[in-house]
Amino acid sequence: MLSIRNLQVAIEDKTILRGLNLDVGSGEVHAIMGPNGSGKSTLSHVLAGRDGYQVTAGEVLFDGEDLLALEPEQRAHQGIFLGMQYPVELPGVNNMMFMRESLNAIRRARGEAELDAVEFLQRVREKARLVELDEKLLKRNVNAGFSGGEKKRNEILQMAMLEPRLAILDETDSGLDIDALRIIAGGVNALRSPERSIILITHYQRLLDYVQPDTVHVLVDGRIIRSGDKGLALELEEKGYGWIEQEAAA
Amino acid sequence: MITAEQQRSWAQQLMTAGDAGLPGIGLGWLTQAREAARQAVAELPVLDRKQEAWRYTSIEALIKHRFRPVCDTDNWLVLDINDCLLPNFDSFRLVFTNGQFDPQLSAIKDLPDGLVVGSLRAGLTTDPELLATWFGQTANHTEHVFTALNTALVNDGVFVRVGSQVQLDRPIEVIYLSQTDEDPLSMQARNLVVLDAGAKATLVERFVGFGPSPYFHNNLTEISVGKGASLNHYRVQDESRSAYHLSSLYLSQQAKSRYQGTTLAFGGTWARTDYNATFKQQGAICELNGLYTVGDQQLTDFHLNVQHSVPGCVSREQFKGVLYGKGRAVFDGRILVDKQAQHSDAQLTNDNLMLTRNAEVDTKPQLEIYADDVKCSHGTTVGQLDPQQVFYLRSRGIDETAARKMLCLGFAAEVLDSIEVPVLREAVTRKLSDTLNATVVADG
Repeated sequence: MLSIRNLQVAIEDKTILRGLNLDVGSGEVHAIMGPNGSGKSTLSHVLAGRDGYQVTAGEVLFDGEDLLALEPEQRAHQGIFLGMQYPVELPGVNNMMFMRESLNAIRRARGEAELDAVEFLQRVREKARLVELDEKLLKRNVNAGFSGGEKKRNEILQMAMLEPRLAILDETDSGLDIDALRIIAGGVNALRSPERSIILITHYQRLLDYVQPDTVHVLVDGRIIRSGDKGLALELEEKGYGWIEQEAAA
Repeated sequence: MITAEQQRSWAQQLMTAGDAGLPGIGLGWLTQAREAARQAVAELPVLDRKQEAWRYTSIEALIKHRFRPVCDTDNWLVLDINDCLLPNFDSFRLVFTNGQFDPQLSAIKDLPDGLVVGSLRAGLTTDPELLATWFGQTANHTEHVFTALNTALVNDGVFVRVGSQVQLDRPIEVIYLSQTDEDPLSMQARNLVVLDAGAKATLVERFVGFGPSPYFHNNLTEISVGKGASLNHYRVQDESRSAYHLSSLYLSQQAKSRYQGTTLAFGGTWARTDYNATFKQQGAICELNGLYTVGDQQLTDFHLNVQHSVPGCVSREQFKGVLYGKGRAVFDGRILVDKQAQHSDAQLTNDNLMLTRNAEVDTKPQLEIYADDVKCSHGTTVGQLDPQQVFYLRSRGIDETAARKMLCLGFAAEVLDSIEVPVLREAVTRKLSDTLNATVVADG
């Protein structure tokens, strides 16, 4: 489904990703772990099409198509979803209206019929229950005055509404207490399916106790230096990143 | 640069041309006011950059036009009034075509007891004593050349009086239709709105303009809100893009009265609204909201002057602007808290969203506080759309134009939400949405 080959990315002439390779198959859950500044968020932003990054080499194929040639909204239409590390507040933009516009924009782009108000309301209520998001927050402006945990739940709610084929969750677990983490993980697990792939970007092994990944990758200094099964995450938790960096350097 | 002489001769020409056929000739109080105003025109200083209130708003282009005062034969209209009405809006409606009251297009039958609504011109014949009581009570006729001109040429406008304890469930709507062909016209609407104690009303004023020629709408409104009375006042300025528009509002509030004014300014090449609000007694609340959009060849100016001269009153001012192209806006919000006005509570904000580099806003909040136990704050912002917010929306499948537009509408939402008449709120939102088309919201 997703194939990243020798991806090299710079921000203002500072190289962040230095030849990253990654293959994610349909239905797989991959975790990408790594220390601060290793390039995790850069990877997620480049996949979603955010401005300010120069791709200096390599390619990203999504279903065999050149993903990097697409505008951010076109990537969303193709089924890419980025759960943001820091979801922004949108003053004056109603959460429900926003989600409906978003869902219908994607449906239009795919040649599908838009959901009417009743169908939409049914779906958003059902999905809000999944992430235990208070319906009052649907009536508020997007993320305005939401707590950290509510913002993250609102991200997973959008993921549930948009039913992406590839979801990239950028540190969705950071800043969550244990209850919120459990709810978020429950939401993510409910959305696992053979047609949907998920990339979990995280600092900590904690999230992986709840969402079992098929593969764990270690990203250090812009490259994936090791991949393994869930055991790798436990090992990192115990020993930190130092040993693996040394091994890679050796 | 303009000179005092140019300003005077321009005003003089309008006064001379507009003198014939003015109503209320036999009324001493009116003749006196007109005479004093004429006198003032000859003496008032020129409104150039040295006048602080006119520093960023040049009247040069305005007084270069040789306007002709409207006369009876200008009362014509080629467009269909139905195109100008709000859908399913049940109101007491007064329509002015080129400054003149049009009884055919108006709908002010079956007025409830205690409500007087009509044209000022008619009122000068039927109710001169009543008008004499209120005329010029709150306005400063000689504030500047334009208020003086309006007073010298008092011709027609709206007269509203809502009697003691009368609570209207239907809004009063005033539509000013301006339509020009070749002649640049000038109209001097003069309005008087009085709410007696405990009265409650909603007033909607809409300025709609068509036609190729410039025109000058010089509007002066005096509003008196009695003890415990409440007025919701909405003004939608959608003049033609070649119009000059000046609204001078004088507001006076009695004890525990409430005034809520929301002004939407979309049109005009030069449009200015001056609000002068004075609290006469304690416990009154004044809330002023505004939204303006300006693009190429447009200047919109708001001057607010709120005077807390008695203790314990509340004022709230929230103005937002969306600027694009080479649009220019001026905002001057002054709050004066007198020494005796303890426990005043005043807040003022002005936020500007700049969609292009070439747009310009001159914004100046001013708090002058002479009392020592008050709660006052002010703040202004000038900013652009946040790229992070745009990206967030795009990452959810919403294209860039739609994303930028959604954020612009979001920026304006608080002001739009202050409109308590749903039909009007929807119409204004649509107007704003149409204004913010793809070219306008494009990243400049």
